[in-house]
Amino acid sequence: MRKFAVLVLILTLALFSAACSSDNAGSTGTSGKTKATGDKELTVAIDQNFITLDPHNAGDTVSIIGIRSMYEGLVGFDKDMQIIPALAESYDISKDGLTYTFKLRQGVKFHDGEQFNAEAVKANFDRIMDDANNLSAKRSFKFVDSMEIIGDYEVAFKLKEPFSAMINKFGMVPMISPKAIEKGTKYIEANPVGTGTFKFVEWKQGKTLEVEKYADYWGGDQTNVEKVKFSPIPENGSRVAMLKTGEADFVYPMPQQNVKQFKNSKDVTIEESPSTIVRYVSINTFMDQYKDLKVRQAMNLAVNKEAYIKVVKDGYGHVLDSTMAPETQYYAKQKAYEFDVKKAKELLKEAGYENGFKAEIWGNTSSESVKGMQFIKQQLAQIGIDVKIKSMEEGTLSDEIYTPAKPEDAKVQMWYVSWSPSSGDADGATRGLFSNEYYPPNGANTAYYNNEKVTNWIKEANATADPKEQEKIYHEIQRTVFEEAPWIFLASDVNLAAHANNLEGVYVAPDGVINISKAQLK
Amino acid sequence: MSNLQTETALNIEPIKTKSDHRFLQFWRLFRRKKPAVISFYFVLFLFIMAIIGPFVTPFDAAKPDYNSVLETPSASHWFGTDEYGRDILSRIIAGARISLSVSVSAVTLGAIVGSILGLISGFFGKWVDKLIMRICDVLFAFPELILAIGIVAILGPGLNNVIIAVAFFSVPSFARIVRGATLEVKEMLFVEAEESLGASRLRIMFKHVFPETLPTIIVYYTMNVGTAILAAASLSFLGLGAEPSSPDWGAMLSVSRDYIGTAFHLVFFPGLVIFLTVLAFNLLGDGLREMLDPKMKD
Repeated sequence: MRKFAVLVLILTLALFSAACSSDNAGSTGTSGKTKATGDKELTVAIDQNFITLDPHNAGDTVSIIGIRSMYEGLVGFDKDMQIIPALAESYDISKDGLTYTFKLRQGVKFHDGEQFNAEAVKANFDRIMDDANNLSAKRSFKFVDSMEIIGDYEVAFKLKEPFSAMINKFGMVPMISPKAIEKGTKYIEANPVGTGTFKFVEWKQGKTLEVEKYADYWGGDQTNVEKVKFSPIPENGSRVAMLKTGEADFVYPMPQQNVKQFKNSKDVTIEESPSTIVRYVSINTFMDQYKDLKVRQAMNLAVNKEAYIKVVKDGYGHVLDSTMAPETQYYAKQKAYEFDVKKAKELLKEAGYENGFKAEIWGNTSSESVKGMQFIKQQLAQIGIDVKIKSMEEGTLSDEIYTPAKPEDAKVQMWYVSWSPSSGDADGATRGLFSNEYYPPNGANTAYYNNEKVTNWIKEANATADPKEQEKIYHEIQRTVFEEAPWIFLASDVNLAAHANNLEGVYVAPDGVINISKAQLK
Repeated sequence: MSNLQTETALNIEPIKTKSDHRFLQFWRLFRRKKPAVISFYFVLFLFIMAIIGPFVTPFDAAKPDYNSVLETPSASHWFGTDEYGRDILSRIIAGARISLSVSVSAVTLGAIVGSILGLISGFFGKWVDKLIMRICDVLFAFPELILAIGIVAILGPGLNNVIIAVAFFSVPSFARIVRGATLEVKEMLFVEAEESLGASRLRIMFKHVFPETLPTIIVYYTMNVGTAILAAASLSFLGLGAEPSSPDWGAMLSVSRDYIGTAFHLVFFPGLVIFLTVLAFNLLGDGLREMLDPKMKD
């Protein structure tokens, strides 16, 4: 008996001290790491697995992170998502907006030694346009009619109709070595051959992706890092632990609730950067109880956005006051839905749901989603909407949402999700989400938002080359969609990353893609 | 060994008529085993909490208060508040009902099915016995939690399915234990006497053999409740059990694990309660075994 009491006491104390000691964290050193051996190795911890390394078929942020470390497109994006020259030295858009001419950079070699030239661009173009390959990059080239080789280092793309966001789409399409293309899609998926600062070493699916410095990079000696290892670590706590022990040099996303721990750390810096990621709950407007605009507006009014940011985002975020984040092109601030439970209840009453109704919210299993869904549940409970939380593994969730062929088959009621336009343009933050031509499985209009006017405006905006005109149309679209509330608008993100202090030059772009091309380890 | 058992079994038989006397005797012996007694009171306390808990919690367990999130333990919030500003003590009290009802109903279900199978198996023998025991062997081959995860994966997440899954993996152990006890009892003289008097098999099985196996079942039942609480909490931790917003202990641990570095009390208290509860059930079971298991009697 006595022995037992002592045992319990010891165990309890051990638990206590373990929990307390982690409070004053960050004091453990990162400098004592393997770097003593002299080789400059960088470890980047991210939150999800890579799905594919085929640069023409990747849609998720993490896959794009891996791909952009090895590949480049004709143009690229800088830190603020502005277009910068990459494999093309310069480009020219014809007056009618139908012809894009690129002057290609000379002396660029792919990682396998192949020359980059007009022929290589053609090989990539043919691969994407070939329907048999069924690549997602084809969506970027939706408005492209043909490609023409003008000289060894000059190419022109002809469009079917003017498409204002086209130059951003070129930035989304990396160039693969023609030799690799010949070997087929299976080969490309597992053996990336691009022109980037780093070249492929090894990809252990579900574990790590390793790349090493490419000595013949056209841009010269940009980085002193010899080797980069990407480690997908879905568990927040483990990712933070890796940063603490120095096992990882760069961590993204950095969980908000752990930022405090590193405030006074000498070894770790937390980087906040603007983001185009928006958080929202899409509401299936096709379903009976959500058809009524008043219900959806009531739901928006019932959610306290400030509290959402405080509780779920630990203060890192901004109230979402439009359909897109302020960093996105043509953003226009709308009058946010003020938190007003009384008004929300009135609206529900007018819609005939005085006593609320039962609802269901879906989301993935990440701790942040689960936390967000709980918050929504608590908020909607104030107006009598009884929400059931269903969190599903990402693959299952994606199947459930994108499989139904018709809106009436869709079982999703509410989906707690986020969106970031990887091309950084207004089209990327609008067309796939609100055009009625983009219901699942064709696009991400999971609210089944149906407004013919908005669909037509999106087309008009793409057809005009006049930025003034486009801006006007996108403002109109944002105003209309925001008012019709196909989403519960929550917040736009602040990107949070953390890095060891001996690392410089690595950053997270607003769309959540990590750029390591100029990494410097001291 | 078998002599000894026969002896005890025969000893118990005459006392059975004076059940109150037997109970007092039992209690007097039991009181000497301090860990078991403490555990017994703890378990009793938990059951009381599970029944009256929702009426005595200091705060509403489900009501968030965004102005006092992540508060450390204080005079008003003894266990602090969680990331939504809910009182952790209130949630733990409210969670007692979930944890206990899930584990008790799961183990009861498992015990009923397992005991019946064990009785049939032990009593009838031959191919019936072989069939049931081989099925049990197959189920034994899987680690308990893996089996439970598999079942929940098939049935879908939710507390009811957790009950089924936990019951499922307790069935073979009960079946095997009851079968063993049945085999022993079956050979006893009074059963033979019963048979010769023309009692039906069903009557012998349930009226005479089953009560003799009851002490073993009670001991194993108590210990299994502890295991079941742990299993249910694990399943909730993995997101397969209770809804994350419910005050289930496992779900509380799961949701707050991100805060282990910044607000330890979020994880510590639910963890502590699970730890103490499982421990209490095991110690209580241990104490009962010493009392009830004839092999352990001094």
